[in-house]
Formats: sequence, structure tokens, C-alpha cells
Amino acid sequence: MNPLVFAARSLRREFRHGELATLAAALVLAVAALTAVGTLASRVEGAILASATELLGGDLGVVARRTPLPESFSSKAAELGLSSSRSVEFSSVVFAGDKSQFSEVRSVDDSYPLRGALLVKDAAGIQRSAPAPASGQAYADRAVLNTLGRSVGDHLQIGGRDLQIMGEIVSAPGGPVFQFAPTVLMNTVDAEASGLLGTGSRASFRILVAGPLDAVGDYASWARANLPASARLITVAEAQANLRNSFERGENFLRLAALLAALLAGIAVALAAQRFARRKTEEVAVLRCLGASRNEIVLGLGFELLLLAVPACILGALLGLGMQEIAFVFARELLGATSGTVPLAPAGSAFVVGLAVLFGFALPPLMRLRDVEPMRVFRRDLQTRLRRFDALYLLPFAVGGLLVLLESGSTQLAGVLAAGLGAVAVATWIVTVIMLKGLRAISRRLPGALRFGLANLNRRRGLTLIQVGALALSLTALDLLAVIGPSLLDRWRADLPPDTPNYFVLNLQSDQRAEFDQRLQALGADNLSLLPLAAGKLVAINGKNVRPSDFEPDSRAGNFVEGEVRVSWSADLPPSNRVIDGRWPGAESKGAEVSVDKSWIDLFHLGLGDTITLRFAEQEITATVTSVREVDWDSFRVNFFMMLDQVHGESLPHSLISSFHLPADKALSDLSRAMPNLSLIDVNSILDRVRDIIGRVSAAVTWVLGFSLAAGILVLLAALAATAEERRFEIALLRTLGANSGQLNAAVLGEFAVLGLLAGLVAAAGAAGTGIALARNVFRMAEYAPPLLQLGLVALASAIIVMLAGLAGTRRIAGTPPMLVLRHGT
Amino acid sequence: MLSAEKLSKAVDGPDGRLLILDEVSLSVERGASLAIVGASGSGKTTLLGLLAGLDRPTSGSVTLAGEPLDRLDEEARARVRRRLVGFVFQSFHLLPALNAEENVMLPLELEGRRDARQRAASVLADVGLGKRLHHYPHQLSGGEQQRVALARAFVHGPQLLFADEPTGNLDQRTGAAVSDLLFALNREHATTLVLVSHDLDLAARCARLLRLRDGRVVEDDA
Ligand SMILES: Nc1ncnc2c1ncn2[C@@H]1O[C@H](COP(=O)(O)OP(=O)(O)O)[C@@H](O)[C@H]1O
Ligand SMILES: [Mg+2]
Repeated sequence: MNPLVFAARSLRREFRHGELATLAAALVLAVAALTAVGTLASRVEGAILASATELLGGDLGVVARRTPLPESFSSKAAELGLSSSRSVEFSSVVFAGDKSQFSEVRSVDDSYPLRGALLVKDAAGIQRSAPAPASGQAYADRAVLNTLGRSVGDHLQIGGRDLQIMGEIVSAPGGPVFQFAPTVLMNTVDAEASGLLGTGSRASFRILVAGPLDAVGDYASWARANLPASARLITVAEAQANLRNSFERGENFLRLAALLAALLAGIAVALAAQRFARRKTEEVAVLRCLGASRNEIVLGLGFELLLLAVPACILGALLGLGMQEIAFVFARELLGATSGTVPLAPAGSAFVVGLAVLFGFALPPLMRLRDVEPMRVFRRDLQTRLRRFDALYLLPFAVGGLLVLLESGSTQLAGVLAAGLGAVAVATWIVTVIMLKGLRAISRRLPGALRFGLANLNRRRGLTLIQVGALALSLTALDLLAVIGPSLLDRWRADLPPDTPNYFVLNLQSDQRAEFDQRLQALGADNLSLLPLAAGKLVAINGKNVRPSDFEPDSRAGNFVEGEVRVSWSADLPPSNRVIDGRWPGAESKGAEVSVDKSWIDLFHLGLGDTITLRFAEQEITATVTSVREVDWDSFRVNFFMMLDQVHGESLPHSLISSFHLPADKALSDLSRAMPNLSLIDVNSILDRVRDIIGRVSAAVTWVLGFSLAAGILVLLAALAATAEERRFEIALLRTLGANSGQLNAAVLGEFAVLGLLAGLVAAAGAAGTGIALARNVFRMAEYAPPLLQLGLVALASAIIVMLAGLAGTRRIAGTPPMLVLRHGT
Repeated sequence: MLSAEKLSKAVDGPDGRLLILDEVSLSVERGASLAIVGASGSGKTTLLGLLAGLDRPTSGSVTLAGEPLDRLDEEARARVRRRLVGFVFQSFHLLPALNAEENVMLPLELEGRRDARQRAASVLADVGLGKRLHHYPHQLSGGEQQRVALARAFVHGPQLLFADEPTGNLDQRTGAAVSDLLFALNREHATTLVLVSHDLDLAARCARLLRLRDGRVVEDDA
């Protein structure tokens, strides 16, 4: 026998039988979901990078303090074919007539910006992207213009140079999101001519480069080797820290949806394959009788699967590519910065995963056909001997586990999902075994038809366990897609409520507080928070001096040691902070205490009881670590890595830092005029950007969740139809014995209601637990409560759906004359 | 051609061990025909399965065309069947996914023969189904299905034919036609025939008769 020819022929015929169609459909859905999500995720990843380079203003930056970077940093860039741009940041007093304002100034060359766009408003208030300021020109932000009483078109003076104001700055690329945005932008030619950049100035000098990825990489390694003492590299990763969180959450959502779709498909494949194998048993017995060897049979089945799988996977990949294109429409603007080419690698890996799912889930039942005894041609009821333990049955779990690990992209997501689904499987098994025992005990007291239905559950104990397990797992996946996913998305959107602080104020002095409060109140500002701020240096840990040279150059820890450390204090734990170890220093602390952010604890390998020595001007404080905090850095509030106890904090020279929410129609010009020493930071644009990302990514996610859900329901219905089909024989028998349709329905309804309710409840509990774990460990959302009522309703609904699907499947069978069924057997 | 030595078969049932075949011995010459008769449940099918090497006896041995079946493993027994044996079953056992011609081609394909299609078509013509080559089993009547099964049983020229109640699922007239065809083909191919039936008329057409009762040979007119 040529197994390939035989396989092709069998495939053609059996496709029409249904099992193979179910198998193919499940596979198409799985590959489609994985392709769509993988492609989308990789395009989103590209967008993250692009948006980060926009924020940074280039692909890589080098910053030096006080002394300009050597000329070689420019020539090396040119040599590598990179474009480069130099800029300088410094503080200076800006004059206009009799008014003046202390400002953060950035001077740039003509190639600024390399990435992203400089947005300004012209005299008419119309927003446009603008070129770098030419010599004799400047851009200034609203606060500066207000204080100086000037508008676009007027002039201002910096370092004795007269500059015409060409526009009001809306956003200027060139630094990490929360670094102080420049308030005046001018040309470096003017800055140098003014003498503001001479030795002794506190300026920081920056060069940004942009170009092909490998050239940027070469430049980075060259720069690292030739870095002057005061200089450091700024990478895209640093610049994107804030947006990255949003994107990562979105990506995790996408992956979750795809994984669940793939697992659902796996379950469907397993059920369809089992049904297929059952139907195939007799054929195999006949073939064995006619002298086909085991290997020929296995080879034939393998080829048949392969012939089925390859086109199904191709179709799925194409479908997935089409779908991600639709989802992409939602996020087009957001991802507009990426090139239009669609990455094909995710489709390729989805194809491979599809094959793995098929063989992983379908092989075990099909391999059992090896063991079909030829005697079966005479005795239909001859059970294929079941080996007690078949290692093959570990295959679906291995493939499922591998799938979760590879596709989740994060070990947390993989761990939570694997643990959740594993727990559901175990719980289902236990609950079902108990239920079967219970049913046996009470079955004598049940009415006849119902007793028959429920007795069936006990008679096919193994099958019942498999079915309830598969049902519970798929319902868990559905619950996660339909209830948990959307509620997590809601929770995410609520992360940035309308009253999220959109302004930060620095440099506020204690004696200005009353006036500040009153003015803000008058403006209708809310969500006001005020914290003291003292800037110092980290000198020692546990009495041992720390120097920047103790750490890797450019490492986060090294930068912290080298730069300023800002600390604060407060009687109460500030919002969006959580003490995870130790206790918050109360007002009554005796020795100096400090509460440290978790990431710092890890960074400096600290523990409770360690001491940290900080120097503030002439004063030194050695504080004991008494608590570890977890801080929600995405909360748009003022947060600190270190918080001292109040008593010791108050003794330090300090200013106040404030954040608040100002309604969109209110301006702070009066405030900045009345209190010119304040530094105002407007984060409306970054807030808008993050909100925009959340909105678009969650729209794309909702689409994928919905698709996976639809796929899951289809798969579930197919599986249930198969389950109903298995009852053909019994129903025909009952029919023959004269059971009316009412009695038939009672038998089937009872059986399926028990199956559905059991699976639904276990699934709801499993989904709730998995949801909590997902919120905490994957999406890092505090205080997430799964919607239990909704889950309960879904459990009830799934019991009803299972019941109706069972009934529908049986209806069809009950319509056929019983003799036909009895004659043709299963 | 075929001989059995003290064949016994016991199975483990819910009420303990059950002996369904008890030391049956027989031998059949090349070209001869043997009918196994007996009441339902007397062990006929069990014996046939053992003779054809579809199952292993609890004790005893079978030699088929010189091959000691009990000393071969399942794969080797399959090869013997492929080469030497044809089957006809009570419930036809045509593969529902294959049409008449493809069903008949099966044994030839298993042997890897290239002329499978022509041979199948010609044998189907012999059994009077030359115009139904591309019909599927469900499009054929019971009698027609059994004729396809006969074609399949003879198509590769087996030396031995096992038939288990070949007319059991057919009405009397159709059954008679099918058994006429069976014996005609048997004569034509000079095949050794082992036939199981509780129909004594059909059994009487065989040269020799073996009667089973409760798993034991109670009559053997050899
Ligand atoms: N695998 C088995 N398990 C239990 N009982 C069996 C098995 N195979 C056959 N039997 C029993 O052995 C007896 C003989 O069966 P069989 O050979 O099919 O009889 P016949 O073909 O003569 O009707 C019957 O009582 C049948 O129930
Ligand atoms: Mg029988």
C-alpha cells in the first residue's frame, strides 16, 4: 500500500464526514489567531521603538556635563553614515523689556530634530511642525511668553543676543519624557556667540545620532570606548520607559487572547481527533484483517493529518494576516511611524505552532488505532485494550505547556496561565469524581429517564472525565476572554481617570504655600498633592562609601550615585504607594528612617535594617531602611525612590513639589506671573499620548479578544455536537424500547445539565483566580476584583448552552430511524 | 493447507473465566471446503478468528499454508493474511469512505501492485457490478455490498477464503444469489474455503462439515 496515496484518498472522503472538518476549522482558527496577534504585536513593538526614538529625538544620544563632546563624536557618526545633531541645555535668564524669567534653554543646530517633529503654534495659534530655529530666532513655551508678556513675532534677549520669537513650543523631542522640557529653544550659533556656554557654565552637551540599526550599534560601542569622564549614553530604552509600560500591557493582552484561542483550538483538535479515531476504528480493523501492517496504518494516518494540516495552516496564516490588517486600522495613527511592511515571521511561527498543536493533540487518540485488534471485525464491542499509562497522553500537555511558554513572551504570563489551567484541570477531576460517586448513591431515587441519563455518566467514567475536563478548560478560556479580559481592560483605562494630574510645579517655597493653594482653588484645580523635596547625594550604604566608579558605567545604579537623589517625606503613605515589607515610619520615629522603592532595593541589594547615608548641602543623614514600597510609576503623581521619616526630613533645606489637575480651559499664566520662581511642567501632551495609546491598543485588543471568543464558542459547539453524537447508539436503543421524545430529552438534559453546570462552575472559579493572578503578576494592577456576578451568570449560561447544544445534537439523531443506527453501529 | 491443533480460547468475563473454545483440532486440504456450523454463541466466529490468525489462542496452534501462526508476531501474521487470505463478513465491512472500485483495490494496494485499478474493475465486472464502480457503499443494496466484498476477497487470488455468515444479513433470495456467486468464484480460483454459518443449506454446499456446541467439536464428517 502506498500510504500517501491512501491518505490522500481517505482525506478527500473523510473531510465530508465532519470530524476532519472540525479538526481543520480548529486548526485554521488557531493559526489565524496566532498569526494576527503575533504580527500585530511585532508591529506594535516596532511602533514602541519608533515612538521612543521620537521622544529621544534620535536613535542614540550621548550627554556630557560641563564640557562639550569632542569633535570626533560628530566625525565618527559621519564616518558610519549616521546623521547627527548637537544640542546644549543650560539655564539662563531671559529678558524682554523690563521683565525677565529664569528658563531652561536648549540650543540646537540646523539638523535638529533627527527623529520626531518639533511642534509649535504660530502667531495665529495654528499648530504646525517647525524647522530648527535659525540664527536670530527662538521658540518659547507658553509660560515664558506669559511671564514676559510677549507673543509670537515679538523679540526676547538671552545672553545679550536679540532673538525673534518664531512660535510657541508645543512639544520638542530630545529627552526622556519627564525630564524638564526646554522652555526656550534657540540656535547654537547664538548661544556660543553669547558666551553662555563658556567654561564653568552648568550646561549639558548632547549629540544625537540616527541611521541604520547596525551603524547605530557600531557607534554605541565606539562611543562607550571613547566616553569622556562626565559623559554617558542615552538609549532608546531609557527614553521610552513610560510609554513602554502601556505598550507592554497591550502586548500582554494580545498574547493572552491568542494563547487562549490556540489552547481552545488544541482542545477542539483533541476532541475532534478522538471522535475521528473512534469512527476510524472499524476501518483500521478491516485493514488489519486484510493484512495492513501497523506501520502502514500509522504512516497513513500521519500523512492524512499532514495533508490536512498544511493547507489548513496556510489558510489560517492568510486569514490571520487579513485580520491583523483590520485590527491595525484601529491603531493606524498610533503605529503610523512604522514602515508599511508586514512582518511575516509571526505568520511562519504560527504555521509551525499550528502543526505542533495538531500533532500534539491529535496524535494520542490516533496512535491508539495502532492497537486495534483485527478481531474487532467480528465483535464491534471489543474494546481496544487501554494501556494503563500511555506516555503519548503527556504530549498534549507538553505541547500546551510549550505553547504557553513560547507564545506568552513573558514567563509571568506563562506561569499564571499554566497554573490557572492546571488548577482547573485538577479541580475538575476531583469534583467530577466526587459527583459521580454522589450520583451513584442517589440514582435509585431518580425518575427513570433521568436515571438512565445520569447512569451514562458513570458508565463511561473515563469519557465523562475527559469531557468535563475539556469543557471546563474551554469554558475557563471563554470566561477569561469574555469576562476577565474586558474587565481588566476597564481597570487599565481607569488607571488614568479624567482628574489625573496634568501639571507639576517645582521649586515652590514653604512660605508660598498658602497663596499657591488659594490661587489653584480659584482656578478650579483638583487632585492637588504637595510633597516636600530635598535634593542630596547618596554617599554611603551601610557605612561604606559609594562612588560612581563602583558601578558599571551607564548603569542605572551608577547614574543614581553620580546624579542628585531627590527625597521626600510625609506622615501618611502617599497614594499609589504600597508598603510590601516593614512598616511606614510614623511621625513618632526616633532614629532616622527611610522607606525605599522596591526597584532601588534590588538595584543596591538592600534589605530592612541596612543604612543609607545621604548628604544635603552641609548636612549628612544616616537613615535605617524600615520599609520597602512598591510604587505605581504610571500614576502621574509625584513619587520618590526614597522617603525619609517626617521628623528628620523637616530638618533639611527643601522646597515643595506639587501635582494637580487643571481643567482644560484654565491657564496658569496668572500663577506663573505672580510667582515667577515656580517651574511649571505641563504634562498634558504626554498624558494625551498615553491615553491615546491605551485607547488604541485596547481597541485592538478588544477586537482580538472578540475574535478569540467567537472562535472559542464555535470550537465548543463543535465539541458538544461530537459528544452528543456519541449518544447515538443509546438513544436509538431507548427509541427502540419505546421511549417518547419527552423521556429522551429528560435523559439528555439531565446528563448535559450536570456536565455543563459542573464545568461552568469550576471554570468560573478558575477564571476568577487566574484573573486576580494576571492583574497582580502580569498587568501589575493593584486592587483588581474580578466581576463575580458576571462570572456566575456566565457559568449558568454555559450550563444552559451545553444543555441546548446537547439537545440539538441529540435531536438530529433522535430523528433518524433507530434501526439505521443500530444496524450501522456507532 | 490449514490445520489446528487443540485450539482453546478462554476469556475473562464479569463472572470469572469462561472457556469459549475447548481443544478444537482440524485440518483442511488445499482446495477443500469446510463448513463450521452450530447454534449462535457456540464459538464459530471465535474459531474462525483463530484460524485466520486474527486472534491468539489461549493454547494450541494453527498452521496456515505452512506458516506456524502462533510463532509469528502480529505484524508477520498480517503479512501472511495479506498474501494468502481473503475474508467475507456477515456485515460486509466495506470502507464507507471508499467507492466500490477502491474497496476492491485495497488488498492489491496493500501488496503494492500497480495494476490494482484494472484488476479491481475486471473482478467487479465478474460479480456483475461493472457499472457500479464509482458507487459508495451507502449507495449500494446489501446484496450488492456483499458482492463487492466477494470481489475484494478474491481480487488478489488468495489461497484461503474465510467467510463468516456471508448471507446472514441478507434476505433469502439475495442470500442465495450471493452464495451461488461465492461458490462459483471459489471453484474458479480453486480457493480453499472455510465457511461459518448456522444455515445448514449453505453449509451443505461445502465438502465437509464441522459442528460446534459450547466450544467443542461434536461432529466432524471428515
Ligand atoms: N472477547 C470476548 N469476551 C467475552 N466473551 C466472548 C468474547 N468473544 C466471544 N465471547 C463469547 O463466546 C461465545 C462464542 O462467541 P462466538 O464465537 O461469537 O459465537 P458464534 O459466532 O458461534 O455465535 C459467546 O457466548 C460470546 O459471548
Ligand atoms: Mg458469529
